[in-house]
Formats: sequence, structure tokens, C-alpha cells
Amino acid sequence: MAAGAAELRTLWRRIDSVRSTQKITHAMELIAASRITRAREAVEAARPYAVMITRVMRDLATEATVGDHPLLSEHEELRRIGVVVISGDRGLAGAYNANILRRADRLVEQEEQAGREVRRYVVGRKAQQTYSYQGRDIAQYWTGVTDRPRYADAAEIAERIIADYSAGEVDRVWVCFTNFRSALRQVPSVLQLLPVRERELAGGEGYAPEYLFEPSPRTLLEQLVPRYVEHRMYAALLESSASEHASRQRAMSNATDNAGELIEALTREANAARQAAITTEISEIVSGAEALSSG
Amino acid sequence: MAEATFQVDVVSAERELFSGESTGVYARGVEGDIGLLPGHQPALVLLGHAPVRVKRPDGDQVRIAVHNGFLECRGDELTVLADLAELAVEIDVDRARAARARAVRQLEQAETDEDAERARDALARADLRLGLVGAEASS
Repeated sequence: MAAGAAELRTLWRRIDSVRSTQKITHAMELIAASRITRAREAVEAARPYAVMITRVMRDLATEATVGDHPLLSEHEELRRIGVVVISGDRGLAGAYNANILRRADRLVEQEEQAGREVRRYVVGRKAQQTYSYQGRDIAQYWTGVTDRPRYADAAEIAERIIADYSAGEVDRVWVCFTNFRSALRQVPSVLQLLPVRERELAGGEGYAPEYLFEPSPRTLLEQLVPRYVEHRMYAALLESSASEHASRQRAMSNATDNAGELIEALTREANAARQAAITTEISEIVSGAEALSSG
Repeated sequence: MAEATFQVDVVSAERELFSGESTGVYARGVEGDIGLLPGHQPALVLLGHAPVRVKRPDGDQVRIAVHNGFLECRGDELTVLADLAELAVEIDVDRARAARARAVRQLEQAETDEDAERARDALARADLRLGLVGAEASS
């Protein structure tokens, strides 16, 4: 009888512990769900700016007087390649961090096979931890950004990268980010940040001759190109952020379901144990009574 | 006769601040103040840290602080694009004052050109905010 009661107590304790874990995962699921909505809104809110700046850049690029901008022209020799990896600050987001790191590794491998050196810029604590554990060099890392990216964060990151590109420290810059296609599908992707590709700026309508420029188109473009690069960085951060929250929501939803199944199985086991304990007790009483009456 | 109006959008990288009809837009460009009325010659104007005033048909004015932006006017449309922009009504005066004091201190202590540049930038931002809401720099 004592053994049965102990088993029962252990089972109840396990059920309690699984139940409190389930509460946590469920709360995380709800939080992630609300963050996805917010992140999607941020992507939407940034769209008018994206459309406008792209159009103005295209039109300006057709002005003959603009000439070559350093951020628009390819470096003659590709020796060192900058790779920006955008990961999350925290885990518990399913395969989100692993996927983007794997994508980045593939890119790095390709570049290294082509005989180029790679310089890493890292956004998010997870990638930073992974790379320092692997003993790889990181040019600079930023944390506390991906949960809710602000434009100022993107501007700061872009500023560093533009400075390195302008100084000839890196000859091309890739960004590895996660593209948010839908709540169910997030795709690790790569985009070329620098130099800004010519085809991105092709197809501008140009300006009518009576246009008033203040200051000259050349100076204007000089001011706008960094803005454009910052904006691309911002968009990549927003996409990654939405993807991270979506991955986390899915992972936590699965965890909550699994906890539910576990609780069900354990409860069944506990009921069986309780029944067994009662049966034992009854048969003990019955046999005790019989022993007395026959005596 | 009603005044002529044109469509004005003020858009920052993070959100849209204003979208609607207007009878005139006044801004400070890097090369001087500029006022644009409907039917203005098409223009592309760079703005530094600049106050922008958008006049609405009912005579009200919307005042906006624009940091690192530019303005494009084409025909019956005018767009102000900015890294960062704030409506005057959203500006926190106490915070702007504190930021200004901090910037002044940083400017005095700046050791490198880069630090000084950053401090001057912060100072310009704070001054723009305070100027727009009509608050004194100190009080």
C-alpha cells in the first residue's frame, strides 16, 4: 500500500510540473503572436517610405550630371567580403536561429572557396554566441535590436558598414536575413547591400528640365544613397523580426500541445495507480476481517 | 473662391505622419527657407534638421520636426521623406531640454572630431524640437 501511494505522489508532482511549464509556453505563444502583428504593422508602415525613396533614387540616377557614387560602383578587386548575419537574441524559436546561421555558413563557404576573406557583422546574441564559441572573428555585433527594430538601430549598423566599404575594408557586403513570407513560411535569404546594384536603380523616368534641385542632383544623390542603404538594412531587420516572432509562436504552440498530451497520459497513469491502491486496500481489509472471523 | 490645394504626404522611415490636402508647405532647406504653394515648379529639396509647416485648407497648421529628410514636389503632389520625423504635438519638451543639456556637455568634452560631430547633431535635433514647440532652451 505504501509503495502505491508514493508512486501516486510522484505522478501528481510530475503533472503539476508539466502543467506549469505549459502555462509558460502558452504565455510565450500569446506574446509572440501579438509581436508578429506589431512587426507586420511596422513592415507595412515602412512601405510608403520604401516606395518613395526607391523612386527618387531611380530618377536621380538617370541625371547625367550625377556621375559615379562610391556606394554604387563595384570595387575592382574582391578581396574581403562583409557578411551581416541577422539572428535573434533569444532561443526557443524553433529552428529560426539554426536556419539563418546555416544559410550564412553556406554563403561564407562559397566566398572562401572563391579565395576571398570574410568579415562578419552580427546582429543578435545567438549568432554572436555561436561565432565566439567557434572562435571566429566578429568585426562588430549589435544586440537588443531584433525584438523590435527601430530605424535608429538600422542607421547605426548601416553607418559602420558604409564606413568600412568606403574605406576599402570590405569590397562587397551581403546581408543574411529571414524573409517573412507568411505566418507559416519564413525563408532564410541573402541580399547584396553594397555596392547598390545597378539594376535596383534602373528604369527611372528622370526629371523634366524645369526641375528645381536644391542643392545639385549630385549632392542630393550623395545624401540619399546612405539613406537608401539604411532603409534596406531596416527592412531586413523588420522582416527578420517578424520571422523570429512567427517561429517562436509556432514552437511554443507545439510545446503547449505536447505538454497537454503529456498531462493527459500522466493523469491516466495516476488514475490507474489510485485505483490499484484502493483495490489493494480493500482486499487487505477483507482478508483481515476474514482472518478475525475465522479465528 | 476656395484656395487651391495639393496632396501632401509626410513619411518617415517608420511611419506616415501626415497625408491630406494642403494649401501650402513651408520648410527650411539646407540652402535656405522655401515655401511651396500648389502649382509650384517641380522641385527636389534637401532638408537638414528642419521644421516643416503644412497649412491645411481650414487654416490650421501641422508642424513637424524633420531630421535628415528631403522634399519632393511634382505637380499636384508634395512628399516629405525623412529618416525621423515627429509631430510637434508629440514632442516631449522636458526630454528635449535634457537632451540639449547633454549635447552641450558632450560638445564641451568632445575629444575627437567624430564625437563633436555627433554632439552637434544631437544639439541640432534638440534645438529643432524646442524651436518647433516654442519652448525656451532653458528654464
